[in-house]
Amino acid sequence: MLKKMLAQLGIEEQRVRLDWVSASEGDRFASIINEMTEQVRALGPLSRDNGGKNG
Amino acid sequence: MAKLKLALYWAGACGGCDVAVLDINEKILDVANLADIVFWPIALDFKYHHVEAMKDKAIDVCLFNGAIRSSEQEHLAKLLRAKSKVLVSFGSCACFGGIPALANLTTRAEIMERVYVEAPSNDNPGKTLPQTKTQVAEGELTLPELFESVLTLAQVVPVEYFVPGCPPTVDLILKVVNALATNSLPPVGAVIASNKTLCDECERKKEEKKITKIYRTHEIIPKPDKCLLEQGLLCMGPATRGGCGTLCVKVNIPCRGCFGPPAGVLDQGAKLVSAVASIYQTNGDEDIARMVNEVADPAGTFYRFGLSDSMLKKKRLQRR
Amino acid sequence: MKKVSIDPITRLEGHGKIEIFLNDDGDVANTYFQVPELRGFEKFCEGRPVEELPRIVTRICGV
Repeated sequence: MLKKMLAQLGIEEQRVRLDWVSASEGDRFASIINEMTEQVRALGPLSRDNGGKNG
Repeated sequence: MAKLKLALYWAGACGGCDVAVLDINEKILDVANLADIVFWPIALDFKYHHVEAMKDKAIDVCLFNGAIRSSEQEHLAKLLRAKSKVLVSFGSCACFGGIPALANLTTRAEIMERVYVEAPSNDNPGKTLPQTKTQVAEGELTLPELFESVLTLAQVVPVEYFVPGCPPTVDLILKVVNALATNSLPPVGAVIASNKTLCDECERKKEEKKITKIYRTHEIIPKPDKCLLEQGLLCMGPATRGGCGTLCVKVNIPCRGCFGPPAGVLDQGAKLVSAVASIYQTNGDEDIARMVNEVADPAGTFYRFGLSDSMLKKKRLQRR
Repeated sequence: MKKVSIDPITRLEGHGKIEIFLNDDGDVANTYFQVPELRGFEKFCEGRPVEELPRIVTRICGV
């Protein structure tokens, strides 16, 4: 539901991810982080508009 | 005690907060005994130049309602801030953005296009849009500049007190009037309402919070004595400040959060997503998908009155 | 041309200003009424659930 709401606020759902990784799953943690980093990088920066009077 | 000098002003507002002050009925006479109202466009004929001519801090208390999204509204906020000892952010629009802040889910350009060009009742073949300066035969006309986003009062000028509500209830207004009369205002920065959530003052029976379906308000007729959230309606009570006397819930409609977030909550909408998702019983992805589908408009519902006051504040547009 | 401004108009709901242009004889040459506010209900109501509209559009005017 958070993803649906963020999409309404202009934030793509690929920028949010929920996963469970235990302390013993070091490799899995690293690969998830790398995947996510590339995913967000491919999307590019968010608009700088942060609700000020000029955007 | 000399009479207080009181001012009331409306920015991006609907007039409801001003009418709410009149809703105190005969007690308005107490206000008249207590204060001289030096500026109140809905009721009195003072002009902007009267305010501009006042000495700084000449006004004792200014109740400022309405959100800020134009240069004129910003100018009046700054002007009244300079001329007032105490500035009160009055009503949900000034405190959180209010309903006008829903405009932060769209853009200024889209609003102008819809209002002045697309709307079916328009007759504007030249697609004329309002301009800040327009030359006419006799001289120049000016209009304020509209901002990209809707802001709260406190995002423009420092504010002493906050009175939430759409509109603030008569009880709350009388509390403010009494505090002024007896010179017993709370510490600066206070929100003049309850410090707890709506749920705390709600008289409905609360049992276990477990739902398997979320209903839209027209889909069921809720039982009057059972918690609305437990009946599957989206009630914003858990993440809304109390102090309104649960007026909406008493007439069997779920709270929409007009009193803003309770003390200690930074972002009302995010808290509501948490609250609703945590009580929905799911057994897998299908149930989750169904729940998400049942909430028709999360941003517009969970941030109904508080978009300007949220962390994101407005829709992030695609960068070109 | 001399201009007389009535700003704001008072004792009604809404924001408005009136600009009155006077000619050299002191007579009114022309008068303009302007509405210096816009909230955008026409646009931001799009996308809201229809059953919520009664609680939204009642905030167009609180009088």
